[in-house]
Order: sequence, then C-alpha cells, then structure tokens
Amino acid sequence: MRKQTNYLKGLRVLFAILFFIPILLYFVDFTGKLPQGLHTLLHLQLVPAILGGMIGILIFQLLLALVFGRIYCSVICPAGVFQDIINRLFCIGKKKRKGSMRFSYHKPLNLFRYILLGITVLLALVGITELVVWLDPYSNFGRIAANLFRPLVIWGNNILAGWLMAFDNYTLYHVTIKSVMLSGVIAGLVALLVFVLMVVFRGRFFCNTLCPVGGLLSLVSRYSFFRISFDESVCNTCGSCERSCKAEAIDSKNMAVDTSRCVDCFNCTSTCPKGGLKYRFNPPFKKAKKEEEAVADPQSRRTFLATGMTVTASLPIVAQAGRRMRHRNTNGDQENWGPVTPPGSIDLERFKDVCTGCHICVVKCPTQILKPAGLEYGFDYLLRPHVSYKTNYCNYECTVCGDVCPVHAIKTLTPEEKKVTQVGIATFIIDRCIVNTEGTDCGACSEHCPTQAVHMIPFEGTLTIPKVEPELCIGCGGCESICPVNPHRAIIVKANNVHQVAQLPPEEEVKEFEIDDFGF
Amino acid sequence: MKRRDFLRTSAVAGAALTLNFDGLQAALATNTMSVESAPDMVAIMGGEPAAMLDKALEAIGGINQYIKKGQKVVIKPNIGWDRTPELAGNTNPELIKALVKKCLNAGASKVTVFDHTCDDWQKCYKTSGIAAAVESAGGLIVPADVEKYYKEVSIPNGVNIKSAKIHEALLEADVWFNVPILKNHGGAKLSCAMKNYMGIVWDRRIFHSNDLHQCIADICTWHKKPALNIVDAYRIMHQNGPQGKSAADVATIKSLLVSPNIVEIDTAALGLFNQVKKLEMEAVGHIGKGQTLKLGSTDLSKMNIKRIKI
Repeated sequence: MRKQTNYLKGLRVLFAILFFIPILLYFVDFTGKLPQGLHTLLHLQLVPAILGGMIGILIFQLLLALVFGRIYCSVICPAGVFQDIINRLFCIGKKKRKGSMRFSYHKPLNLFRYILLGITVLLALVGITELVVWLDPYSNFGRIAANLFRPLVIWGNNILAGWLMAFDNYTLYHVTIKSVMLSGVIAGLVALLVFVLMVVFRGRFFCNTLCPVGGLLSLVSRYSFFRISFDESVCNTCGSCERSCKAEAIDSKNMAVDTSRCVDCFNCTSTCPKGGLKYRFNPPFKKAKKEEEAVADPQSRRTFLATGMTVTASLPIVAQAGRRMRHRNTNGDQENWGPVTPPGSIDLERFKDVCTGCHICVVKCPTQILKPAGLEYGFDYLLRPHVSYKTNYCNYECTVCGDVCPVHAIKTLTPEEKKVTQVGIATFIIDRCIVNTEGTDCGACSEHCPTQAVHMIPFEGTLTIPKVEPELCIGCGGCESICPVNPHRAIIVKANNVHQVAQLPPEEEVKEFEIDDFGF
Repeated sequence: MKRRDFLRTSAVAGAALTLNFDGLQAALATNTMSVESAPDMVAIMGGEPAAMLDKALEAIGGINQYIKKGQKVVIKPNIGWDRTPELAGNTNPELIKALVKKCLNAGASKVTVFDHTCDDWQKCYKTSGIAAAVESAGGLIVPADVEKYYKEVSIPNGVNIKSAKIHEALLEADVWFNVPILKNHGGAKLSCAMKNYMGIVWDRRIFHSNDLHQCIADICTWHKKPALNIVDAYRIMHQNGPQGKSAADVATIKSLLVSPNIVEIDTAALGLFNQVKKLEMEAVGHIGKGQTLKLGSTDLSKMNIKRIKI
C-alpha cells in the first residue's frame, strides 16, 4: 500500500519539476536561446486562458479538477510549485514538528474567499482587471521571476562574461538590464513577501483564500471523482496526516478531508504510517459520506449563495464606477500623452482589460523597450507593459511580444502585419531640432527610420531637415530613440490609442547601373 | 637596467627587427632602381570582392607591409544594420572573410572584428553574414553594445570632440583596418571611411548634437590611424541611406578602393558615388573639414593612383 502512495507523491513532484523548470528558465533566459515554443506552457495557465477566451483550455482544466482534484495547483501553476519550493527551503535543518509537520487543520474561510472571487470576477467582467492582475498566481510568479530572478541571473552572467572575456572567450556576453523598473521590482518583492509569509505561517493559505484560480477550482474539486479520503478501518487518528497538510484541509479527529482545499500534493498519503489515507475513485454522488458533510456544511453554502446574489445585484453600480474610472484624459500636451502599447495590442482600452502584467513580453523583448508602467499612465495601467523609446526602438520585423503573450492581450502578428501596424506616429518638433537651432547637419532620426516615413528634405544651404509622412510611420521609435536633443527630444512618437494600419513604403523599381569609369 | 629603459630598448629593437630591407636587397641584386613606387591609392573594378582585395593589396605593396608576425589586428567593418548583404547596408562579408584570412596568413596573432551597431547587435552580426564570415576565417567577432567595452581616450586635435570612449579591442590592437561600405547617408550625406569611425565610439548622440561633420573629422584625428582604409563598393547604397529600404536603393558597381589616407579615399569614393548619384563635395562637409585638420588632401590630381579593371 505505501509503495503506491509514495509513487503518487513522486509523480507529482516529477511533473511539477517538468512544468516549473522550463517556465522559470523561460522567464530568466535573456539570450533568446530557449525554444520559443515554450510559451505553450504559459497558455495552460488558467487566468490567461480565461481572459484570452481560450475556452478549450478552461474546459480542460475544469474537467481535470472535476476528475482528479486540484492537480493544477501542485503541478501546472508555477506560483503553486514555487510556494512548495519556499516551504522546502524553510524546512531545511528544522525538526519535523517545526518543519514539514508544522501544519494543523483550520476551518476554510469560505465567506472571504468566495466574496473575493466574486468581486474579482465581476470587476473583470466590467473591464476592471486590477484584482486579477494582483491576485493571478501565474502573473505574480511572472513578476517575481522577471523583476527579481532575471536581474540576478544577468548579474551573474555579467560577472562570468567579464571573467571569460579576459581569455578571449565571448560565449557569454555582457548584458545591460534596461527593462527592470521600480514598479516591477516592488510588485515582485511584495508578491515574494506574501508568498513567503503565507507559506511559513499557513502553508497554501494564499491558494485557499486569495487566489482566484484556487477559488474557481475549489468549486469544482469539491465534487472531484478521485479524492483523498480516510480508510477508517486502518486509521488510528494519530494526526500525522493533518500535520503534513500544507493546505490545512485535513481534520484528522473527524477523519475528514476538505477536497475544496486539497491540492493533491499527496504528502499525507506518503506520511501516514498505516496507509490510512487513500487517493481513490470516490465521487460524491456515490454516497454522501460523513466527511463530505462535515466540511461542506450547509451554512457556508447558503452564505455563498447569498453573497453571490448581493454581488450580482450590485453589478450595474460597479460597472458605472468602472467606466468612469477608465475614461481618463488621453489627449492634452505631450507630457500627458498616453502609453504606446505593444504592436498587436490593437487598442489601449482592450489591452488594459486583458493584460495581466505577467511581464513575459517585457522579458522577451529583444531591445528591452517594453517596460512595466508605474503610475505615470494612471492606476489602471499599473504594471502593464508600455513601449519606451528612451534607449532603443522596436525592430522592424520583430513580433516576439505577440508570439509569447499567453493572454493574447498582444495579438500574434505576422511580420507582414507587423510592418504596417501603426502603434503611434512620430511627431516632429522643429523648434527643438539641431538642424534648426544649431544650423548643423544631423539626420539621426531619418537614418534609423525603416520605412523612410522620416526623411530629409532641403533646408538652408546644403542642410537637410527631417519631415514625417504620417501614413508611412509605424511608430517604431527609431527616430525618437536616437534623437540627440536633450532632455526633450525633437521627434517623439505619439501613441495611437487605437492602432492603425500604415501604408507600405512605395515599391521602387530596381535599376541596373553600368559604370565603366571611377569618376576620379 | 630600469624597467622603462628596458621597455624602450626592446621597443626600438623590435622596430628595428621589423624593418624591411627586401626592396633594397632586390635593388642591389639586380643593381637597378625600381622606377615604380607603391601607389598612394589603388582603385579596382569588375571583380568579386575577394579577388579585388587580392589584386588591390598586391598593388599597394602587399599586406605583409602592414602586419608583422604576432601582432593583434582589428578589422572595423560597417555592420550597423539588420540587413542582408544584398541590401548593401553593411560591408560585404566575403570581403571581410578574405581580409581576415589574409591577416592571419600574414602572421597576425589575433584578428578581432566589431562594430557599434545601430540595430540589435546580434541581429546585425548574424544577418549581415559577417559573424559567420569572420568565424569561418578564424577571426574573433566581439560585442560592442555595452559601454563597459569602451575606454576614454583624448582627441587633442579635435575641434568639437576633445575626448571619446573608444572600443578596447581597438585600443589594444597593434594594427587596424578601416573597412566601410560606400553609402548615401541622410545626415552625413556620404557614409564611407571617415563616417565609419562612428562605429568605434560609444556615444554617438554627442556627434549629432555638436555639428556632425566637424565631429566626424575630429574623431579621425585620433592618433591611432588605420593601416589601410579599404572601401567596399561592390554594392553601394545610392539613396535612402544609411539603412535603405529595398534593393532599389542598391547599385552593384563591383569596385574596391584601398588607401592609407582617409581624406583621399573618401574624396575618391565620392567621385565613384557620383557615377551613380549626384552629390556635391560641399554637402559632405566632413571631408573638407578633414582636409582642414590636415588629415589629407581633397585634391587627387597630384596623387599616384593605380586604377585596375578586371
């Protein structure tokens, strides 16, 4: 008997590693050497799947939970596995009683968790995704990996690269970090702190109170077909299972397991010396057993329904408030121009509604121009990526951000589509331009323009000055990034709140040139 | 012996060892004086890049005249853009490959190639075909995208630029070759040997904001001059430079220029450019400013130019 249960835990750990390590590496990889196909792992994440409208994945995950319980939380969710790792690290060098066996049964905070889930869902429905952004486990993990782990890895790389360089070895190269912003670091630190505190004191408390995915799955896993339950003939109520349960879901005195909170980690089955807990086919419809009643008491179900009704009734008010909040002034002078959103995000409002701020696009952008926003574009753009042309620009044929976005908040574009996706328009301010103010040649902007939407026209004498053809401009920021005028540049991309289609540069005929003289 | 004396002596001894008496010996052996001295510049037309390089270097006296055994060599092409060789945004990779090989054959201990690119450096190195060319020839292509690779040097003869951060590979090199491609340029009007210097420095925006032409001329006064400027004009970009939009911007004129003098080679390159597109000398201000800074003459009439057609 014990052999079989150990095998389950081993399998759980193995699968968790198989999911977690690639996702972690994908987030910290700064070389672009990992296969891009790895982003498929991100598409399995529930919140992105729901927001991205990927019904198939949602149904699959719900079915998985209905049949096997919340395997998702122990295997697929990187934040779940990450919390297990924190727990593991915490237990190092501690006696069992203070370490791996430190937990005890607590009543579920059903009222709290389902109200929170309800509010989160309702707000998201009316387009206020703040709570989703803050609570989504995957995005929180993403922010920790992108803003804390990745810089550490890059620093390590830079030290090694410097060392190898002395031996003329350039396999590693120095990387400058430009896309780590204060807002992202704070978000990552807060998430890390929350995870650590909750894990240390209450195990999977996050997953069973705050997490919207945990909440959603718990509604299904209550009725899961395969579940952990007591074998009353063997159990001597020693309580070791209860102390090993990080979800605090085992009430050993009453021999009851709360499957709404159980994350199928199988620690209990492998801890029990008697084999008194079994993971087996035991669907609730087979027989309404004692343990089921003990946990899911009718009181909590009634409160849950009542809360649900109240929240639903308040929907119109919330929607109204949401709409007011979202209609910010996006015009005005250039210091107040709205954010440039990544190519493929289609429309600022849509983007805000869908993006969960996981920062995978920030991490994967080869020129590091995608940066997590602070409060400069308002509270409702916090942690979303915006395009900053301060140091670099968007590569003409690059479509990486859209390729990797698990929510499709940034739509996948073909290179052909990308080349005509106008995220903004370069705005030339002649009063600041070197050619005008200093009377010397420059042309850096036109030099960097891939479509020649910014081109040089005759000015005074032999001088030439830039001119913008708005219909050709795609807002890639080549011009803005290189403009030498400080601190306010003479050419700035003004965001299109709704992305437009630019014209392709006119095709020119390829001519043959025959020359037979050097000309000197 | 003091350390300084020792170093000085060995430097002199080293220099003496490198003196080349082949010409004298040959003259003595035949007891005749060679009438034809090495030309100031070689211009060649009509061949493939490697073949033209071969002939041009031979005509100017052979690469061994510029590289001594064990020296560290840097080749500085233009690799500014994420463009394939056909679009003439970057120096021809076949030319670079042939040159790396020649340097190694001449006894160079190490041949390093870099450019401070405009587009993403890895994309530029790869798409241009230059990374592959250098590696296959046995050279070393190194990154130049991070400020830490650059060290501050003084440019005492500069007018607007008095100091600049230059890539350390170049600072450490014994010999370097400046290998631009001939292009139209929106700001500098012509991008050739002098303009190619902008790829050895870290902060280019300073150039643009302090009279681009003067700054280009200034940086060319840096004391460490290239042994040779080798202008790739196999394909030239005659419009929409320096990045170009399409093949319509390219003229294939299968030419190559070689000269140790940067003002003279850019003057000649401008003449060649004018065979395809009209461009006034006055517009390309940095060439004239180079002459003012005594980097060379824009008057090619007194020069010994060897013109070769294949």
